[in-house]
Amino acid sequence: MSAQIDIEAIDNNIKTMKKAAEELSQMGDDFPAIKRNTARILASIKMLEINVSDIIDL
Amino acid sequence: MMIQEQIYWNPVLETLPFEKIQSLQLKKFKKIFEWTYTHSKFHRSLYDKAGIKPEDIRSLDDVKHVPKVEKGDMRSIQGKDPYPYGDALCVPLEEVSEFRQTSGTTGQPVYQPDTWQDWEWWAECWSYILWAQGYRPRDRVFIPFGYNIFVAFWAGHYAAEKIGCEVVPGGVLDTQARILKIQELKATAMMGTPTYMLGMAETARNKMNIDPSSLTIDKITCAGEPGASIPGTKRRMETAWGAKVYDHAGATEIGAWSFECSEQPGGMHVNEALFLVEIEDVDTGEIILEAGRRGKMVITALDREAQPCVRFDSKDIIEWSTEPCSCGRTSRLIKGGVVGRADDITKVKGVLLAPSSIEEVVRDIDGLGDEYEVLVNKSGDTDQITLKVEMAPGVEGKQDDVKARLANQLRFKTNLRFDLEFHDFGSLPRYDVKARRFKDLRKKE
Repeated sequence: MSAQIDIEAIDNNIKTMKKAAEELSQMGDDFPAIKRNTARILASIKMLEINVSDIIDL
Repeated sequence: MMIQEQIYWNPVLETLPFEKIQSLQLKKFKKIFEWTYTHSKFHRSLYDKAGIKPEDIRSLDDVKHVPKVEKGDMRSIQGKDPYPYGDALCVPLEEVSEFRQTSGTTGQPVYQPDTWQDWEWWAECWSYILWAQGYRPRDRVFIPFGYNIFVAFWAGHYAAEKIGCEVVPGGVLDTQARILKIQELKATAMMGTPTYMLGMAETARNKMNIDPSSLTIDKITCAGEPGASIPGTKRRMETAWGAKVYDHAGATEIGAWSFECSEQPGGMHVNEALFLVEIEDVDTGEIILEAGRRGKMVITALDREAQPCVRFDSKDIIEWSTEPCSCGRTSRLIKGGVVGRADDITKVKGVLLAPSSIEEVVRDIDGLGDEYEVLVNKSGDTDQITLKVEMAPGVEGKQDDVKARLANQLRFKTNLRFDLEFHDFGSLPRYDVKARRFKDLRKKE
């Protein structure tokens, strides 16, 4: 089952999303709607890491 | 393949070879242990006293050297700054977005802070559960539960949303209103304690003249009590509702760590990618690795950050199953679910008794109602154990047979002779959430 799924490609996309979200978060230091919504996005990205990224280097 | 046909919530983690699961557990244990050591004053002090540091964890075998934490430890540090969580809080107070507390069944409730990331994680744990039990975006999920300061069913609610189900919060409605709403909306799934699922069915039949199996519920997820893993109780719920009934296990300070899948394999999967479960011999403290030997669960939630759960002494009695599950998940099963709690098992007349074994007998005898009550008392130096049951409606003429079967099965399953009391149907106490049917009155002396 797992052989059919390109987890490295998924992980690369997760990393890209995380980088964008972190940059956005920094831009939101004086902008609560950006800062707090980005915090939620980062929590969701963490779930993607738990589901995929954490097993990349096993 | 359409996403609805996918049998796994995570087709990678849930089919990972077991050796890789263990590598993942080691990697994550090191990380959460270091996080906890670095951020929690309480844990750091505990670990320093034991002389163990994060770099000492090199294999899963090293984990057993990390001191356990009990509920009592958490009680003793709370109510202090950072208020009200005390020294186990690992994040700034302003990052805590959720408060819950334990139900206090075994004493003073324990407070549980969670960050939004922790809360996402709770829903993620539950998403594994619900997907494995057949919940899909087409489901309309009714939650007949008064949401409050306890964690119960909040995470189930959010996980059902995450999966894409439509969620109907049945919060403050009374039982009859909930049944009518299920009927009106044609809900397909619900969540509740076994006690309440049976109570709801009884209300529908006896007070509303509605056969619950004629409603559209086709799956029920149970929590809070062991009933859905007790065959007689599961059968009663499935018959009453005409639905598949699934068990899951979780706790406020741990997370939702275990679940029965749609194969109903006579046990529950431990979500081993997210939790490290160890089974400890109750007498010697030795870690039990082999299947078929019961012990006490010590558990680590591998991704929880605000108030970590590292080697928590849960007191749940479990055993590894000898058989893998036919569903294809590579995480191990615990046979028969959580079979008891170390602090529930009591000696009566010199015999060790788990209250769940009485439920197993009562619920397996047709002709008895769903409710029962057990009283343990002392007469002089002798323990007395009384079981109160109700005859189900429609057993007239067969009562002697029911009584004889009950007495025989109790003797067979528990090695004890009970004083039996038979009461009219509907006369024993009913419970809305968790039941307290086992009353050991000796402890008051």
